[in-house]
Amino acid sequence: MAMELHHTFTVAATPEDTWALLTDLEQVGGCFPGATVTSATDEEFTGNVKVKLGPIGVTYQGEGRFVERDDEAHRAVIEGLGKGLRGLGNASAKVTLQLKPEGEGTKADVTTSMNITGKPAQFGRGVMQTVSDKLLGQFVECIEGKLTG
Amino acid sequence: MIPPEFDYAAPGTVSEALALLAEHGDEAKVLAGGQSLLPVLRMRLNAPGIVIDISRIEEIKGITESGDAVRIGAGATYQDVLDSALVSEHLGLLHKALTEVADAQIRHRGTVCGALVHADPAGDVGAPVLALDARMVIQGPDGERTVDASDFFVDLFETAVGEDELLTAVEIPKHTGWGAHYEKFVRVSHQWAIIGIAAAVRVEGGTIAEAKVGLTNMGSTPLRATSVEQALVGKEATEDAVAEACAQVGEGTDPPSDLNGQADYRKHVAGVLTRRAVVAAAGG
Amino acid sequence: MTAVDDRPAEATHEVGRDRRRKEDQRLITGRTRWTDNMQLQGMLHLAMVRSPVAHARITGIDTTAARESTGVIAVLTGQDVKDLQGSLPCAWPITEDQKAPPHPAIAVDRVAFSGEVVAVVAARTAAAARDAAELVDVDYEDLPAVLELKAAAADEALAHPDLGTNRSATWIFDSAEAGTGGSVDEAIRDADVVVEREFRQQRLIPAFMEPRSTVVDPTGEQFVMWSATQVPHILRLMLAMTLGVDESKVRVVAPDVGGGFGGKLQVTPEEIITFLVARHTGRPCKWTETRSESLLSAHHGRDQWQKLTLAAKQDGTVTGLKVELLADMGAYLGLVTPGVPILGAFMFNSIYKFPAYHFACTNVFTNKTWTDAYRGAGRPEATFAIERMMDELAVELGRDPMEVREQNWITHEEFPFTTVCGLEYDSGNYEAATERAKELFGYAELRAEQQRRRESGDRVQLGLGISTFTEMCGLAPSRVLGSLNYGAGGWEHASVRMLPTGKVEVITGSSAHGQGHETAWSQIVADQLGVPFEDVEVLHGDTQISHKGLDTYGSRSLVVGGQAVINAAKKVIEKAKPLAAYQLEANVDDLEFTDGKFTVKGAGADQEGVGLAGLALAVFAAHDLPDGMEPSLDADATFDPVNFSFPHGTHLCAMEVDTETGASRMRSYVCVDDIGNVVNPLIVEGQVHGGLVQGIAQALWEEAVYDDQGTLVSGSFVDYTLPTTADTISFVTDRTTSPSTSNDLGVKGVGEAGCIASTPAVVNAVLDAIRQYGVDDILMPCTPERVWRAIQHGQAGASRPTAEDAAGHFAEGEPNQDPPGPAGVTGATTTTQEGGQA
Repeated sequence: MAMELHHTFTVAATPEDTWALLTDLEQVGGCFPGATVTSATDEEFTGNVKVKLGPIGVTYQGEGRFVERDDEAHRAVIEGLGKGLRGLGNASAKVTLQLKPEGEGTKADVTTSMNITGKPAQFGRGVMQTVSDKLLGQFVECIEGKLTG
Repeated sequence: MIPPEFDYAAPGTVSEALALLAEHGDEAKVLAGGQSLLPVLRMRLNAPGIVIDISRIEEIKGITESGDAVRIGAGATYQDVLDSALVSEHLGLLHKALTEVADAQIRHRGTVCGALVHADPAGDVGAPVLALDARMVIQGPDGERTVDASDFFVDLFETAVGEDELLTAVEIPKHTGWGAHYEKFVRVSHQWAIIGIAAAVRVEGGTIAEAKVGLTNMGSTPLRATSVEQALVGKEATEDAVAEACAQVGEGTDPPSDLNGQADYRKHVAGVLTRRAVVAAAGG
Repeated sequence: MTAVDDRPAEATHEVGRDRRRKEDQRLITGRTRWTDNMQLQGMLHLAMVRSPVAHARITGIDTTAARESTGVIAVLTGQDVKDLQGSLPCAWPITEDQKAPPHPAIAVDRVAFSGEVVAVVAARTAAAARDAAELVDVDYEDLPAVLELKAAAADEALAHPDLGTNRSATWIFDSAEAGTGGSVDEAIRDADVVVEREFRQQRLIPAFMEPRSTVVDPTGEQFVMWSATQVPHILRLMLAMTLGVDESKVRVVAPDVGGGFGGKLQVTPEEIITFLVARHTGRPCKWTETRSESLLSAHHGRDQWQKLTLAAKQDGTVTGLKVELLADMGAYLGLVTPGVPILGAFMFNSIYKFPAYHFACTNVFTNKTWTDAYRGAGRPEATFAIERMMDELAVELGRDPMEVREQNWITHEEFPFTTVCGLEYDSGNYEAATERAKELFGYAELRAEQQRRRESGDRVQLGLGISTFTEMCGLAPSRVLGSLNYGAGGWEHASVRMLPTGKVEVITGSSAHGQGHETAWSQIVADQLGVPFEDVEVLHGDTQISHKGLDTYGSRSLVVGGQAVINAAKKVIEKAKPLAAYQLEANVDDLEFTDGKFTVKGAGADQEGVGLAGLALAVFAAHDLPDGMEPSLDADATFDPVNFSFPHGTHLCAMEVDTETGASRMRSYVCVDDIGNVVNPLIVEGQVHGGLVQGIAQALWEEAVYDDQGTLVSGSFVDYTLPTTADTISFVTDRTTSPSTSNDLGVKGVGEAGCIASTPAVVNAVLDAIRQYGVDDILMPCTPERVWRAIQHGQAGASRPTAEDAAGHFAEGEPNQDPPGPAGVTGATTTTQEGGQA
């Protein structure tokens, strides 16, 4: 199943300062709920994500990297690919960031999408959609929190 | 069924169970009736280090009178509750809702408190318990505390019960003499509720004096339709009179979209079924 | 016509009695042996590693951790077996130029559907195998997946890049070309009324009760495979052909099998894999699937788009029918996958006298679980479409749908009738079945109630649905199968063995998996040989005992296999006759055989005669036989039918639709089936009831749904909403009888009838209830939501495919796109957050 979420918010800081924060992969990766970043460079990071929800507890191991990064236009696309432990299937996430000056501050457009295959997607009743929805929401909220907090 | 390997403990007392929870932290899962945990283990969507089976703890079994309330212990199965004269007499709404839970085999295994802690918004127990202003009795390392049902359900599969705590009972104030109806909307009988409406009303002289309405699967937790409840008070207990109050029940809710229906459809049906549930509860 | 017809109804005869099934005690109590009950010395347990993705290249498989896991004996991947596994068989290439990819049991370098096996683990316990299977680490490089049938037909992405197209084959029948009728294009050109509709046959899952299971023992001279299969004989042959093993070195046993519905008419990857692992390890191996695996990877059924064009005169006489199908094969061709839609080719014209007919079906690959036979196989699809079309024609003409059918159907005086497809319908009486059904249903009164509800604007509307169906069953005359390129014949084999004690063993090539053959065959043989019902033992399902057969599917067992049993029994009597004559000191021609005894014609009622049991003992001893007589009464027979049998019936359904919620409730269901003579009415009732529920389930409940990644999201019974008895009503069933002329018993098949007939009756009824809102179609299953949207928006709301629901959480304009929690300091999401009321 695939999900996509758009979120827009404004930050008091300048686009340049915001950009520096947003392109710190350790910070961005760590914002994913349940994520632990185990290593990070300027270009990529590795880590794991533990999704724990009610009766479900699954762990993904994966890596993320920039697939697109335009420091001038303040646009970046980060892709993460997680492989579920115990034959779970895969999960992938794509985050598209776009910053634009707005007044004194910055307007941030964040588009996140997520694909889940395998067992969790078969759990039933669309529950994993709700879960992914929630995870993406928390992720964006965390990013926003880091920038505005 | 072949779940991943786990350790198993069957403590005899609540304090032993709490000690095990404290020891194992998030590696532990509590098993009461197993009707939610086992399917997940079977699908291998979890691999707990230890399963703590609380079904042998005598002190949390039974259904008893507790002042103005009926106390349902964590060991009580759906069927135990259905068979309880106390529940039939004082908690008609809960009784009606439990008759709609899955099938006889599940009702003989699954527990009411287990379902509450599982907090599946599509489960049939949350809405009536919430509507009836229940109090949740939670025991933890610091002793016992009580949480109102309205503060209990936090989010999808999330409750106020901490990782080191157990829900040991639910106390539900008696609603003796109230009319009640649980309207469960399903495509096949053994299905989870597409939506469900739990309605209890107290009718005085043909007029609704008090109303309580809980909603199943209309959001990430069971919901209480307080605005509908307020609008119903003073209305004649007839279909025409309650229709308007019930029609907007879906407003402000955020129901899921899945194979059984999109969110807008659920909101619409909720309006129809709330009316029907209230009329049925009022004896119409 | 047949001996059965003329026979006086005597209580002593077994055929026609509602015998309780002799197999039920052991089946119901579980005191029997299913494949999964098998325990062999040193047996290993297998677990499959399956692809979680729909289409991908396998770039690496690391089996190290799995191999090191406790109790693991072997881990095999596609690379390990690629030169051994062959390609899974497809016995029905429908055209000379049919395209198909190789069908590996274990994917080698590419997976083409989610659920495909990529590796197998063999371990000392089932738990160890399952645990280790999770440790097999597979790297996939995603390829574009094609999931939707029409997109696949347009080659928007390729399910198998090497094929260059998703189109496997196109099969055409045209009555003008075949010389069996006129030109459809001319009929459409000259028609007063043309009705064109497109219907969707959703994807279904057979969902048999016993999950699949296979055990292979390689330790004897023969490889012995026990499998939960409908087709032990076909499986044995195909194992030999696929794996290059001598057929004589393979024995297949289908022990008690818990249902199939076509879902076990297959040679499965798992059967091949279990064989390979057993051979590799030299130890007995068992594989038993979980229910999740079963729903995911056992073959699915149906899945077609159907476009129909019907031409008629203003007076309602039909003049032509054009059928254009797209059929979803899924990712591979199974045993009879491509032929399933073709089995419907001769049935769209149904009971109606179409003078011109054209059928074209294009088989298409997608990256989904492959499809194959499912109860009715091709005929439910045809029946649904034509019965929906007859209703549409009636609506178009403003006439009662039953009247329009009556005007066009074959009348009972017209039998035998050669159809526009060239089939000869041997017998039937549509008027009689319909008359009886209308009477039981209260057709006129229900129509009046419907009118009242419409006029009063009742919240609950009533709809009446009709299905006057026929089907072809008793697969099949071998020469017909030959003309359709099918890879085998359609005969059946039987043996009757007379034991010295007078007991009788009947060996049948039919392979029961819940049908009650043991009971029915016993009844037939008891009558034929005049022995007690209890004295007949029916043996089947083991190629070492029943060495020859073509198994059970397509409502063929009784009409083909039953006839083979009769033929064998008749041979026994013929073989016994010379001995009887010898003992009675009479001329062979003067003997008659009744109720198990030979007597001399005209010798009076008080003569003792000689019984078959006594003769059997005499033959066993062989001390005193006529000169030159072989000391055996046993006989074999192989029967090849000359024609199909054509059951028919009239099914009437009343549905109440709650217009406020879209929920529908079945009010009544009446079916009057003509299945010819009946061997056991109780078994027939069981088949009819079960068939009805399965057909109704297609109309109302079941659908296999994939999400946009190609994951089966209706992968458990939580979402694959299989009905139970709690969801169904009491059906009213009755029968009329026009005996079949193609077998001695005068019987027609009944195993699929209910499933074939009921689906359109239900959908027609739902539509009939809400036509006044401008609705002329609803996709199956007719969920409350679809019905409600149809009422709200007329046609537009009814046709939204379920696939969108699978990913519906972020549907355009839906309010649930908001992230939970506060929207941020100055944040705004693309849609507004509504306040909770809790």
